Amino acid sequence: MDFIPTTEQDKNEMLKKIGVRSLDDLVSEFKPHLTRKLNLPKPMSEFELIKNIGDLAKKNKILKYFVGAGSYNHYIPSALNHLLSRGEFATGYTPYQPEMSQGTLQAMYEFQSFICLLTGMDVSNASLYDGASALAEAILLSSSYNGRNRIFVNEGLNPQYLDVLKTYCEGTDLEITSEIDEKTTCIIAQNPDFHGNVQNLKSLSDQSHKVGALFVTCIVEPTSLGIIKGPGDYGADIVVGEGQSFGIPISFGGPYLGFMAVREFLLKKIPGRICGMTADTKGNKGFVLTFQAREQHIRRERATSNITTNQGLMALAATIYLALMGRDGLRTVARVSYARAHLLLDKLQKLGFECLNKEPFFNEFIVKTPRNSEKILERLSENGILGGLIIDNDKILICCTEMNTIQDIEDYVSIVRQVI
Amino acid sequence: MKLIFDYDEQNSGHVTDEDIQVILPPELVRNDLPLPNVSEINVIRHYTNLSRKNFGVDVGFYPLGSCTMKYNPKINEDLAGLEGFRNLHPFSNEDCCQGSLRLMWELEQYLKEITGMDAFSLQPAAGAQSELLGLMIAKSYFREKNEKRTKAIIPDSAHGTNPATASMCKCDTIVIPSDSRGNIDLQKFKELLTPEVAIVMLTNPNTLGLYEENILEICDIAHKNDTLMYCDGANMNALLGITRPRDQGFDMIHLNLHKSFSTPHGGGGPGAGVLGVKSFLEDYLPIPRIIQRDSKFVFDYDRRKSIGKVRSFYGNFGMLVRAYSYITSYGSSLRKVSEHAVLNANYLLSLLKNTYYLPYDRKCAHEFVVSSEKFGEKSALNIAKRLLDFGFHPPTIYFPLIVKEALMIEPTETESKETLDKFASALITIANELIKNPQIVKDAPHTTSVTRLDEIAAARKPNLRWKYHNRG
Repeated sequence: MDFIPTTEQDKNEMLKKIGVRSLDDLVSEFKPHLTRKLNLPKPMSEFELIKNIGDLAKKNKILKYFVGAGSYNHYIPSALNHLLSRGEFATGYTPYQPEMSQGTLQAMYEFQSFICLLTGMDVSNASLYDGASALAEAILLSSSYNGRNRIFVNEGLNPQYLDVLKTYCEGTDLEITSEIDEKTTCIIAQNPDFHGNVQNLKSLSDQSHKVGALFVTCIVEPTSLGIIKGPGDYGADIVVGEGQSFGIPISFGGPYLGFMAVREFLLKKIPGRICGMTADTKGNKGFVLTFQAREQHIRRERATSNITTNQGLMALAATIYLALMGRDGLRTVARVSYARAHLLLDKLQKLGFECLNKEPFFNEFIVKTPRNSEKILERLSENGILGGLIIDNDKILICCTEMNTIQDIEDYVSIVRQVI
Repeated sequence: MKLIFDYDEQNSGHVTDEDIQVILPPELVRNDLPLPNVSEINVIRHYTNLSRKNFGVDVGFYPLGSCTMKYNPKINEDLAGLEGFRNLHPFSNEDCCQGSLRLMWELEQYLKEITGMDAFSLQPAAGAQSELLGLMIAKSYFREKNEKRTKAIIPDSAHGTNPATASMCKCDTIVIPSDSRGNIDLQKFKELLTPEVAIVMLTNPNTLGLYEENILEICDIAHKNDTLMYCDGANMNALLGITRPRDQGFDMIHLNLHKSFSTPHGGGGPGAGVLGVKSFLEDYLPIPRIIQRDSKFVFDYDRRKSIGKVRSFYGNFGMLVRAYSYITSYGSSLRKVSEHAVLNANYLLSLLKNTYYLPYDRKCAHEFVVSSEKFGEKSALNIAKRLLDFGFHPPTIYFPLIVKEALMIEPTETESKETLDKFASALITIANELIKNPQIVKDAPHTTSVTRLDEIAAARKPNLRWKYHNRG
């Protein structure tokens, strides 16, 4: 199957107009030539594609998820996908021509607004790749702002995010240290942290500002912002995070949605696209990409980042999700996720599991298991439940969302009861 | 123009509320959540109407140079949305994700065959992140060899991401000029290639749409200096099945799956960048790698030399499904894509070259750059805006930087001769207007929902978000 509309007759007319005899003549300069056909499978019809790829999809097993750790299984309203699959949105590109891209641009403006409202920050960009790489961009921003190159990472950062930070530090000559002093460029803290703890970070934020460092908060489960204060409230200078919870399928880890919001004074340092409202020659309101002088296509080696294509359609998904849920819906998602996690913990405690969270938690918690954790997860898995993320041979990180029904929780508990 | 924040209605929020007591320290609890409540019908109308103010490949011709705006087959959307892919948690046990792992592993094999490289990482989220990964790998490689190399040679026609990436890795960019045929200046290249040069980043065909005629010699000279050759594969749509970057002499290449392999551009992402390397660099690729062990596919985290991770999980999986589907639909006849991409570009060029100035008079690859300099300053911008009235998305303008009033045109293989004829005729009409009635071009566009927007005011008086007190 192919998607080339050119007829044989068209082709011949085109070759004639160009002044060459064959397609081979057109590509004769492209040396060295591959002198054989590509060794790929036979071309497939649409029907065969469906069969082939459908079979692969069937080889995956979808369980009931009690795991989060950076990827959260929330409900996605049906209306979202209908809007997202509109070709006018899905098949456009970066809105370089604002007059014919007002749809994408206005949605970007709304996305930036939603992120600012939720985080309590002044300015948001129009998205980054994912939460982990957004955090890495935050340290680059911080270092370029204050010229310092040491980073302090508070306990409780998602280990994958820490891995990505380490990689970026190595590549960009920055360093993660265990001291906080006047060489520290920024302090990073995740909230709720990897174990779900909801923390009061005011004193850590004050501590950063005392040594002239920026305070970076990382939000990996943003539905928490439905009931928990935004980091702007406790003094964050940069908030980064993962927006996947807002209407984006877990999809084996991507595409997701990185976001970044900052205080006003960092506006000119922020990486990525930013949309602004302005007016046209007739005075009508409209939107454009703005502060492009920060970006690689203008500033080249002096750009704030190399980022160009980011996660536009995923930012649109999050925008539509937040519109569909509204303040009441988002609050409900947060409340129900909280309630399910606490219900499950309550029942597990009765079976001898010990909660290791030192602080109040949102929808994720870590338990010490009365029996080998692998055995417990194995039995759950046999019964169609992914029971959590194994942390240790006696520790499991468990997550609930509104998708985990009370019946699911009862099933979880009764299966666990059989193995301990 | 109404913003979503201007609504305030009854909305049940799609999830049932329950009688729940949330017990958290009061100083952490949010008192206000200033989001709008909007009814579903108005959300649908709001965003449907926004979409109608937008332009995509599904609406019309989109010859945005260097971006490969080809048709995105709908079947690929259906397949990426299959329950088994869409609802698979990334922390699923290996037994539960054999289908996804197999798809990723096979995609790597296909990409290896297409480029000639020995190994691929599917982890990077976009081309620019692949470049970053490539530079990080180069840095690790030379660190291991105890060599201090801190320079990158990059042509003056390169994408801005190349020098921006070099800077992120604290590498100095040495700009190499292009010669009169649009190739890199070979003599100059030899002079600039000192022992401090870690890497040469080239786009081939380059951003002028020209195949680098001395590529074999360039790679050869670089390798004698122990310098790595990096290929920015943004323009791979010209080369599929015709020539392979490895055979040209490159050590690394990134591909933008959203370009050559047709995943939708989404109004600016998500894309997917993948990085291919020769075997001597394979150990540095990010973890986890996917390997086949006893007829099962498994994650391998045990790679001592790996640079680590550049993002969470394994890549933009949903985009990988689409690219896999696209590649297998063409299969062994993938060459046809590039042949027709090159045919369309050369045909369009032949229709325009008497009207617009062609700075490098050669056959082009999958795209070409012409100049409107003879029509005066800002003519490329004015032409772009006037094209909107003809129902076309304009080409990339003012890039590459080395051509004045540049119009960079990439038609792609999915456009018919009729579309190309109409587009050429629009550009020729506009050229005539510029001579006879330039005001109509300077005032364009006349048919869009807004006229030209004030970008200076946007930066001077930034309004980057809706604020709560705006309600009223």
